[in-house]
Amino acid sequence: MKAAAHKTIGYYPGYRTINQIGYWDEATRKVVLERLGQSTVLRFFTAAEAPLAQAVVDRVLPQEDRPPEQRIPVLAGIDERLYSGRIDGFRYEDMPPDGDAYRQGLAGIDEIAHALFGREFVRLTHLQQDSVLLTLHDAKPPAAAPTWHHLPADRFWRLLIDDVVGIYYAHPYAWDEIGYGGPAYPRGYMRLDHGEPEPWEVEERRYEFEAPADSLSGAFTPLGKLRRGAKS
Amino acid sequence: MSGNGHDGSGVVKRLGPMQTVELPMRRFNDQDLVDYCIVGVGSAGGVLLQRLARAGFKVVGLEAGPFWDTERDWVSDEAGAHKLYWNDLRITGGADALALGANNSGHGVGGGSVHWAAFVPRFHPSDFEVYTRDGVGCDWPIRYEELKPYYALIEKEMPASGPAHFPWGDPHSYPYGPHPVGANGSILAAGCAKLGIRVCLGGPVAIMAGSRTDRPHCIYRGFCIQGCKVGAKQSTLISHVPDALGHGAEVRDHSMAARINLGRDGRVSGVTYFDHAGREREQRARAVIVSGYAIETPRLLLNSACPRYPHGLANGSDTLGRYLMAQAGNVILGRFDELQRQYKAPPAHALTEEFYETDPKRDFARGFAVQTVGPLPIAMAKQFAQAKGAWGWGMRQVMMDSNHWGALALLGEILPWPDNRVELAHEKDQFGLPVAKVTFSLHDNDKKMIEFGKNKVMEIMAAAGATEVVQEHRYAHLVGAARMGNDPATSVVDRYGRSHEIANLFVCDGSILPTQGSANPGLTIQALAARTADYLIREGEAVFRPGKYSMEPPPFRKDLSPPATWGHGIR
Repeated sequence: MKAAAHKTIGYYPGYRTINQIGYWDEATRKVVLERLGQSTVLRFFTAAEAPLAQAVVDRVLPQEDRPPEQRIPVLAGIDERLYSGRIDGFRYEDMPPDGDAYRQGLAGIDEIAHALFGREFVRLTHLQQDSVLLTLHDAKPPAAAPTWHHLPADRFWRLLIDDVVGIYYAHPYAWDEIGYGGPAYPRGYMRLDHGEPEPWEVEERRYEFEAPADSLSGAFTPLGKLRRGAKS
Repeated sequence: MSGNGHDGSGVVKRLGPMQTVELPMRRFNDQDLVDYCIVGVGSAGGVLLQRLARAGFKVVGLEAGPFWDTERDWVSDEAGAHKLYWNDLRITGGADALALGANNSGHGVGGGSVHWAAFVPRFHPSDFEVYTRDGVGCDWPIRYEELKPYYALIEKEMPASGPAHFPWGDPHSYPYGPHPVGANGSILAAGCAKLGIRVCLGGPVAIMAGSRTDRPHCIYRGFCIQGCKVGAKQSTLISHVPDALGHGAEVRDHSMAARINLGRDGRVSGVTYFDHAGREREQRARAVIVSGYAIETPRLLLNSACPRYPHGLANGSDTLGRYLMAQAGNVILGRFDELQRQYKAPPAHALTEEFYETDPKRDFARGFAVQTVGPLPIAMAKQFAQAKGAWGWGMRQVMMDSNHWGALALLGEILPWPDNRVELAHEKDQFGLPVAKVTFSLHDNDKKMIEFGKNKVMEIMAAAGATEVVQEHRYAHLVGAARMGNDPATSVVDRYGRSHEIANLFVCDGSILPTQGSANPGLTIQALAARTADYLIREGEAVFRPGKYSMEPPPFRKDLSPPATWGHGIR
């Protein structure tokens, strides 16, 4: 951890949760350090799937503003979960198992790319890629993308975004970015009032954070939801 | 050879930084006929185990998950808490399919009480007679007054922190004073003050506001639902299981119940389970109590189908698995100009039950509560994905702003419906056992309640000064699916949890609740377990013999509590 070289994204300049590691319990230290050193080797996604999967994840949670060595390995996290078969304890009856859902969903994203722009997703501009993904966000993929006739777009979108944010916001770099206090045992927190920082936290310093011009994800629009019958 | 010496004989398990239990505990052999085999050592199972052991019964608790050492196994980390939840496959469907796993079921000794937020409001007297009062749902086979002494006792055993005067339902006090208030409690207080709504701050929660014996007070780090390493928040793992072991109970961890077996006399004779090494074994028992919560309990009873009971045990009325309930748990997020840092303090620490009862001016029966929650970053990002449609750069942006957001939640009463149910799916788990299929759909009254309730919470959030208010539709808790009642044609177990069809088979957990009110179910589950234990102890040997049994209420036993219960807290 070379603190000097570290660029803090976000409104809390110089804030690094990992600097508090001496105040964390041993079990927590171990888990967070393993996360920092996570392998980026993919074992679930094939070499053929990996570029598409990476391109999708890069738009669902873009990190171009981070120095390359400070990007959070989101795809590797998804890959690790799918490879190890770890699930959250359920599957929707109208969804395939998570691994199959990813394989089908990625193929379906390429189908949308072809339907809208006549070429595969990885060869599209960021703006075009965003408009492909927005059809899933809105649960309105084009009819010419046959995967989505059987794979529910709203469920797939939720699976994808929950996985992506579940990995990104588990990472200490993301905690620094949002000014989250991080692990707090056995030290605890002492300032509960009025959003005051702990003695080791830093004051907020705001700036205008704007999405790049070649993107659609900076706007907040309601999620789409497919209609489902009352009886299954 | 017993083969049950798994879990590190001769080791010390740390339950919080101060409390330890020394193993080995007492071990029964497969050949031993124990008095009670309890399936699931969670909120109810932990209390039952402790009571029955104190009363001198030979009792084994089978727990599918591990016996935790909280210092070694739990982390102060949101993603690292995944193993506390029931993560095995379940299939979920219906028009309003429930997300399962993290949200609503535990895995490991202590069960769901390990990762609950520990709000402990009592049910209101009206909850026990919903049908009589409102013509919806059903009545309980017991009245509030029958559970009242157990509420007060369990509040003392946990112990619960809260106000000197809790004004709703049957007004009462708490054995420990209230907690300091975090950002979300402050928001709830401000919003309710503006609108003239009474609010309760600093509890009621089963979290220590002051230290007691080997239980330290809360340190306000906000990781309640990731498992309280501090030992301030109650789980039966730290409050009841140590006393159970001290009185000769056995907790057999990593033991997944497969089916309950019947003897030739038509009574249950034991439980077949898969042990820590995946070997199929049987624990013989003179009575079985199923305490697996609202999905695993019906699943086990359905998986125990046999020639004599082809539709599952205790399912002659086709009621088993039906009337499953979740509570509406919409999360309302509000953006404030001032910083909030709402992740500090226990998620559960303030509420109002002003809207709990049926109000004839509204177009639906029953009501809802408004409570604080305290999402950590991953939960909050997922909520923004739903509530704001956030993704990509927008997700990055709103999360960078997340310290300005506060969070409140609806806790609304969804009524029991027969088509909301647990069945068996075609899929099988790692043991070859059919997994549960859960079907859930909202009905008209539920939808009207949610619409009104979420708007009320959004109004409170705005009144507190939020400049932007958004909400995510979700659910909390799971109860029902093996409901208790007086009529064997419409219920699974009687008022003491005894199955109508097999006299030495009991169910005791959230699944026996006929209705659920707008109160978090944990306290009620533990109180029912203490009451069932009193009943079983009074019945004594009669439970294990065919023949008549008493339906008279048991004497209330105050002498079976864990040792730290008395002589502490507010008199």
